[in-house]
Amino acid sequence: MTAVTQKPQAELLYEAQLRKERIFRTHVGVTWLVLLMTIVFFFSGQNFLGIKTISLDNIFITENLAFIAGGLGETIRISILSILLAMILALLAALGRLSTFPPFYALSTFYVSLIRGTPLYLQIFFFFLALPQIFPAWATVPGLWAGVLALGMNYGAYMSETFRAGIASVSKGQREAALALGMTPGQTMLRIVIPQALRFAIPPMGNDFIAMTKDSALVSATGFVHELMWRATKVGRAQFNNLEALIVAAVFYWGLTLILTYFQNRLEARMSRGDR
Amino acid sequence: MSAIVKISNLDKYFGRLHVLKDISLEVQPREVVCIIGRSGSGKSTLLRCINFLEEPSHGTIEVDGLIVAGGEKGKEHRQLVHDLRLRTGMVFQDFNLFPHMSVLENVIEGPVTVKKMDRAKAIELAEYNLNNVDMLWKKDEYPNRLSGGQKQRVAIARALTMEPRVMLFDEPTSALDPELIGEVLTVMKKVALEGMTMLVVTHEMGFAKEVADRVVVMADGEIIEDAAPEELFETPKDARTLALIERYRSGSN
Ligand SMILES: Nc1ncnc2c1ncn2[C@@H]1O[C@H](COP(=O)(O)OP(=O)(O)OP(=O)(O)O)[C@@H](O)[C@H]1O
Ligand SMILES: [Mg+2]
Repeated sequence: MTAVTQKPQAELLYEAQLRKERIFRTHVGVTWLVLLMTIVFFFSGQNFLGIKTISLDNIFITENLAFIAGGLGETIRISILSILLAMILALLAALGRLSTFPPFYALSTFYVSLIRGTPLYLQIFFFFLALPQIFPAWATVPGLWAGVLALGMNYGAYMSETFRAGIASVSKGQREAALALGMTPGQTMLRIVIPQALRFAIPPMGNDFIAMTKDSALVSATGFVHELMWRATKVGRAQFNNLEALIVAAVFYWGLTLILTYFQNRLEARMSRGDR
Repeated sequence: MSAIVKISNLDKYFGRLHVLKDISLEVQPREVVCIIGRSGSGKSTLLRCINFLEEPSHGTIEVDGLIVAGGEKGKEHRQLVHDLRLRTGMVFQDFNLFPHMSVLENVIEGPVTVKKMDRAKAIELAEYNLNNVDMLWKKDEYPNRLSGGQKQRVAIARALTMEPRVMLFDEPTSALDPELIGEVLTVMKKVALEGMTMLVVTHEMGFAKEVADRVVVMADGEIIEDAAPEELFETPKDARTLALIERYRSGSN
């Protein structure tokens, strides 16, 4: 008898739980909207109930929107190239960190320590301004590559820890099974350990990529890469419209982040589901 | 007839711990040898020394004419160990299937990567062995969608597809739910009947009695008894063997 009444009750509880979650999400969504409207209103230049809000220079915005937006492609390009370099460096650094061969271990820890021990801002300037002093030929290399090198090396050092954890997450039994089949340690690493480590490391790397799209703005300070931030500060300073220019850039960065976060969440959900 | 596996004066230390003490053991072709003993007696270590997953401290392992000495180093030694591993197949307690590969990919991985076998030929061989363990119907499935018994059957097929001269089983059914043990033992029996030489560490006394040609008893890193199953279970010579059998009879390990 109890078994008959218990099931609907469990279902009722579950439904109540779902309803609660739905109500919570609705409230959060509405509040977001209100906050967004408040900001928009704040910059609308309207007179409302005696409150005089800030008015933006709409003509400046319409005239320069296309120019600033033109930096979006460069921002994305530098981010993708840098994350690719970072992944390669991170993997090598992680392997070095796990190596029993002293020079590899030393190289890896040295690299990570040096990069983590200095500011990203400094590293960027180093690659743009200091490196040509050592190698004059470097000055002719497009600014994009200096930026990619700086961002890639910086993120590679931080991401190596993610890779190392990923490699460590693969059980000893997996290696033993591979060795027992006759695989060499190299084959075991390449075919068995790294694919599983990557699966583990992909979601955190997605987060790193999102962070990188924003850190790429630092590259603008050198004046050589014409991405979002560089374009915004250029027109903003020239016409004393920094407020408008930075708001436009902020909207682009934010929008980009929202889109990437959406894909990141989907990726994470898919990875956590297991096979493949 | 000469032995296909010959373990001579094998010693293994873990740090100061003397885990295997001067073990010598011969296994004839097509023989099935079960290894029993209490936990910590060195059964797994012995098995793992045969394919050098553990490097023996002293002594030699000979499989099908290839002799490899323990405690050596260098390129030549690594090559010998590699050749030794090609002659041995191993099945683990916790299966160790590769989770990022389908059943079929798991089984062809060895032949394709290690033996550089043509992929089509490897698939043919893999499908034959999967069919033999009744797992061909799951060939495109991923390991995490299989039951424990199914995983172990795939693991057996994976080892067999390398066409080893001897199969090593380390408690292949210990991680399984009781109702799944039977299917794995059935497959192992089939492999034995097909003439495979097998060393099996197990707690399954029924299997030992029915399938084994010899049962080896280990205690404290030594082989204390080595006899045909009927003889060993009826008239154990060592008091420790008797105690072990009593434990199994009373249902606990
Ligand atoms: N990698 C290792 N490092 C240190 N000690 C080890 C290691 N592997 C095994 N030992 C020790 O060696 C002894 C024998 O272990 P082994 O795993 O061979 O026993 P076993 O007979 O297989 O036991 P079980 O039935 O529990 O599997 C134990 O005392 C164990 O603690
Ligand atoms: Mg064991």
